[in-house]
Amino acid sequence: MPKLIASRLLTSILALLGAAAFAFIAIRVAPGDAARLTLGAFATDEAIASLRVEMGLDRPLPVQFWIYLQDFVTGDWGRSYSLGQPVSQLLASRFPATLELGLYAFAMAFSAALAMALWGAHRQTPFSERLPQRLALFALGVPQFWFGLVSLMIGFELLGLFPGPVGRLPPGMDAPGGPTGLFTIDALLVGEIGTFAAAFHHLILPAATLALLPFGFLYRLLRANLADMSDASFALVARAHGQSRLRVLLKTLLPNAIIPTLTASGLIFGQLLAGSVLVERVFNWPGAGALVTQGVLTQDYSVVQTFILLSAAVYIVTNLLVDIVAALIDPRLRSGGLQR
Amino acid sequence: MEQGGYRSLRIPAVLCLALAAVVLGGGLFWPLDPLAMDFTTTLAAPSLAHPMGTDATGRDVLARFLAGGRLSLLVGTVVMFGGLVPGALLGLLAARTGGALDLILMRIIDGIAAFPPILLAMAVAIGLGGGLWTAVLGVAISTLPFYARLMRSEVLRVQSYPFVEAAESMGASPGFILVWHIAPHAGSTMLVQSASVFGYAIITLAGLGFVGLGAQIPTPEWGVMITGGMQYALTGQWWLTIFPGFGILFAVVATNLLADRLSDVLGGRGDA
Repeated sequence: MPKLIASRLLTSILALLGAAAFAFIAIRVAPGDAARLTLGAFATDEAIASLRVEMGLDRPLPVQFWIYLQDFVTGDWGRSYSLGQPVSQLLASRFPATLELGLYAFAMAFSAALAMALWGAHRQTPFSERLPQRLALFALGVPQFWFGLVSLMIGFELLGLFPGPVGRLPPGMDAPGGPTGLFTIDALLVGEIGTFAAAFHHLILPAATLALLPFGFLYRLLRANLADMSDASFALVARAHGQSRLRVLLKTLLPNAIIPTLTASGLIFGQLLAGSVLVERVFNWPGAGALVTQGVLTQDYSVVQTFILLSAAVYIVTNLLVDIVAALIDPRLRSGGLQR
Repeated sequence: MEQGGYRSLRIPAVLCLALAAVVLGGGLFWPLDPLAMDFTTTLAAPSLAHPMGTDATGRDVLARFLAGGRLSLLVGTVVMFGGLVPGALLGLLAARTGGALDLILMRIIDGIAAFPPILLAMAVAIGLGGGLWTAVLGVAISTLPFYARLMRSEVLRVQSYPFVEAAESMGASPGFILVWHIAPHAGSTMLVQSASVFGYAIITLAGLGFVGLGAQIPTPEWGVMITGGMQYALTGQWWLTIFPGFGILFAVVATNLLADRLSDVLGGRGDA
């Protein structure tokens, strides 16, 4: 076990170095001027020259890479010139909105995927198998930002069932003062039911939009896992013991089908982070993703660069943790004999 | 599992051909200029003169839709081959040489794969100064891991078969084994992967266009068209947003379905 952790740790560090090197090459070494990218198109030549020295752009490339790594690891991510704040503060202040959206999106995606996969596996009628498949095909093929717009056109403009693209709460309503920054949870903690209902109402459309991609992905994974195992000998034994098909499905097959989806967590987090960049813009959601889009549009790239490398770091660290947890749950993975 | 053999390819094949026919042939029957502005008919609803309506500067949305479709098919193809050729070569090189080079190449691929693809493409597009072709390059780079990992595992799988060992024992050269044993096996898997990359490229480039990093404003591109229509989406001018979105949806679903069915028929993706 310690050996497994050590080797996984080493590969993760290598992957992280690789990702950092890629981001460094793409953004720093590419023909564009990194200082210009950070300061924006209207910065004076003196400001750019002094930032070049500050960022070490006059030094040799390996030294620059070392400084880049140090700054990233220590959280020194520079400043946003258009918003005049350190990137770390900006991202930290925006993160709870993105986290709350992502949590709801994940809950929707996972529960819908699970329900659909179980329905298809239990009923096994052409309809119960095809409908979820078509939904997944749609979810994986529809551009999320467009789906978000269409959901607003129908749910808000046409039917008036949902709030418009105004962010997390109706205009004029104050954020619930609470410790987490997640409005639905804070509102419950301080007992403001009205605020909770409003925050929840504002979450439904953006979260459903963000849930599309993870839903399609998780549904296919669960369905394939369930189909693989329905012929397994342990399922046959359980059925031969006289257990009902539903009981076998829920008690025997399901736990085994869910564990492999755990290993996809890193990918799901990545999908949610990348999706938030597009979806938050549509709904004017005041999260980190919207900050990134805004940075791109105003050519203020310091936030964008950090967000991109952070997303890779999240993916790698999640995968590392998942691998370790999976090895703790499943002894077969410890020997290294059953690598994916 | 639906096992209809090659007949199951019928529906996706018809959808893909229909897409290509409409997008490529449509320009012959609808020769309006996608860039020509006409300030006498701005934001006109769909009518016989403009079946998809006009936008805020009076440009014909159908002409822009068709031009956007041509662009999408073009970038889909460019990304498909732009990722396939270097990706497959990388995978092949890693699998055939093994050892330290394999280790280094696959760690680089791991590093690329760690980024959510659209964010990686954003990084490349920003670093190279933005615009459609930098975004295309970025998306192509983000597909390298799909191809390289698959190619590597396919080559390793085929290499371990007894018939390869038999061929080697009879003095077959590495080139012979590559052409007659590895290529036929890996080819079908790569075909399936390419089909799904095609749809992935279209949807990702539209997303980049939406945040302003792909095609630039006057270019008729589906993602840019949706961005342009966004401010009118909630004021009643639905046609600016709806049509290009359906274009993306149709193109991506058709190619994804083709990839799924090809993979059922050829036993590709995931069975490696």
